[in-house]
Amino acid sequence: MKKADIGVGIGLLFLCIWIFWYVGRYRPVEVYFYGPDFFPRVLSVVMMILGLALILNALAGNSLKKTETIDPRGFIRMLISIGICIGYLFLMKILGFASATFIFLFILMSFLKQRGIIIRILSSLITSIVVWTIFKYFLIIPLPEGVFF
Amino acid sequence: MQLDILLEAFSKVLLNPVNFFFVFIGVTAGIIVGALPGLTATMGVALLIPFTYRLEPVQGLIMLVGLFCGGIYGGSISAILIGIPGTPSAAATILDGYEMGKKGLAGKAIGMATLASFFGGTFGALIMTFCSPQLAKIALKFGPPEFFALAFFGLGIIITISGKSILKGLISGIFGLMITMIGYDPLSGCPRLTFGSTELLGGITFIPALIGLFGYSQVFQGIEKILVLPTVKSELKHIIPKLNEIKSVFKTMVKSALIGTFIGAVPGTGCDIAAFVSYGEARRSSKNPEKFGTGILEGVAAPEAGNNGATGGAMIPMLTLGVPGDAVTAVLMGALTIHGFQPGPLLIKDHPGVVYPIFAGMILAQFVMLGVGLGGMRFFARIINIDRRIMTPIIFFLCVVGSYAMRFSFFDVGVSLIIGVIAYFMNYYGFPGSPILLALILGPMVEQNLRRSLIISHGNPSIFITRPISAAFIIIGIFVMITSYYRIKKAMEKEEKRISVERK
Repeated sequence: MKKADIGVGIGLLFLCIWIFWYVGRYRPVEVYFYGPDFFPRVLSVVMMILGLALILNALAGNSLKKTETIDPRGFIRMLISIGICIGYLFLMKILGFASATFIFLFILMSFLKQRGIIIRILSSLITSIVVWTIFKYFLIIPLPEGVFF
Repeated sequence: MQLDILLEAFSKVLLNPVNFFFVFIGVTAGIIVGALPGLTATMGVALLIPFTYRLEPVQGLIMLVGLFCGGIYGGSISAILIGIPGTPSAAATILDGYEMGKKGLAGKAIGMATLASFFGGTFGALIMTFCSPQLAKIALKFGPPEFFALAFFGLGIIITISGKSILKGLISGIFGLMITMIGYDPLSGCPRLTFGSTELLGGITFIPALIGLFGYSQVFQGIEKILVLPTVKSELKHIIPKLNEIKSVFKTMVKSALIGTFIGAVPGTGCDIAAFVSYGEARRSSKNPEKFGTGILEGVAAPEAGNNGATGGAMIPMLTLGVPGDAVTAVLMGALTIHGFQPGPLLIKDHPGVVYPIFAGMILAQFVMLGVGLGGMRFFARIINIDRRIMTPIIFFLCVVGSYAMRFSFFDVGVSLIIGVIAYFMNYYGFPGSPILLALILGPMVEQNLRRSLIISHGNPSIFITRPISAAFIIIGIFVMITSYYRIKKAMEKEEKRISVERK
């Protein structure tokens, strides 16, 4: 993880320098010294020290060895599932909560290669209706309503 | 202790079927979540919180407490049946539980785990009930410097929960504190780091952040690995252990429950450490230590009584001091805040009508856990067999609903997704998520009391060491940090040695 640690350390240094500068605009003029900028600045300095320590630790060869690696295909699968979720959020506004949820669950289960169309339809349908009923009638929490429900 | 209030609370909770229903739902959901590998009690409580918004606070909170207890117990089911701990706290149960399972004694092992969990949980809940009010009375004398010192002590736990790298744990913790800076400054009302966004004025809301950290990140990992992980099937025969078997492990259960409760009450330790320490002590004091690890009932009873004892213990500092004992109690602390109650010394004094029913609810949860655990064992064993391709999308959906329901905001769902992606990468690069959670809880307490104290003392930091209680917390905090540092270092050296021996 040497490269990753150095990268994260440099990123943290830049981020904290920027935060330290940016929060300067919150500095109170007369009220008291320990204003809204005080704590973010303290944290920025501490984080800069930790970032520097991470870089030095990595350069000294003390970085932890990676126990797990990201599977590229799995990573793409994850990104696509996030895309499906974003689509679901838009669809929820158009179709309504329960119907969009059914479509989302069915698509995601199919995408994850769950066998048996009946199982996919039933588990998607039951989950969406049960949660919709609990929220709408039992907890009385307003859910997005669209063309359907 | 106000005994009349306690008795009234018990009658209110125990005699009301509605309360019983919510505890039942919480415990059952907890056992399911705990039994499913990859889902933790922390995640379960986080996902259940949105379902409690519209409930009476007591009903919502006892349901969450039930989930906490059920979740810690539920981990033992998968540990025994398939050799994978459902929750980290059940890792010690594998050592003998899975061995028993291999011998065809899985039912008996789960039966013993259920009894030991019940015993440990009840013991811890009783200690919590009688000790918390006394501790809260002492804590009532606290001022800003003491609260800062307390929060400092709480943040010291970051080192304990940092995993393999303390440095990365600290970075996660500071990152969490930085997140709490977003939104209105509570002392001056000045909006900070909002970049003109009106949605960010109220800050990053706790529940979406929590679901991002512990919900989405696990879902993303699950989706990434879903096609490569093997499906493990579970089997179950014979259930309830015999009376003489229970008698033979009774002493171990008492000792483990005591150890578990005490360890749980020390902030930063948690149920997993309690389980391992209880197992270690049972083995050390046993007449036949060589039999541990071969599949004996004592090896199942010890960790289970220990980790469930720790549930009650972990609630003590959360309710009385406002410092969570572990990650799950940190989430429960957030739930209390959402329902309008600020955990800390004033909680018991100002809201006895809420705190005492929680005590009663926790004791009731143990009995429900015993009944549901023994009665529904075959059902839970079946749940473990549900395909991940069905469960993962459902959990994904519950994460979306959970992050939306707090403020009915799609913005929160977006924030939660982003935090989930960050937490997913953090996990791969060895940055733990729990310190962020702790920082989100303690951040406002640290900042406000630090600034108030410095204003009172005109900028003189000696205020923190000249007041005895504050000084005591800071010294204990530093002591905990140093001992945790050496403990982690020792564990890492041991691990490295083991790996190098395995390679040879």
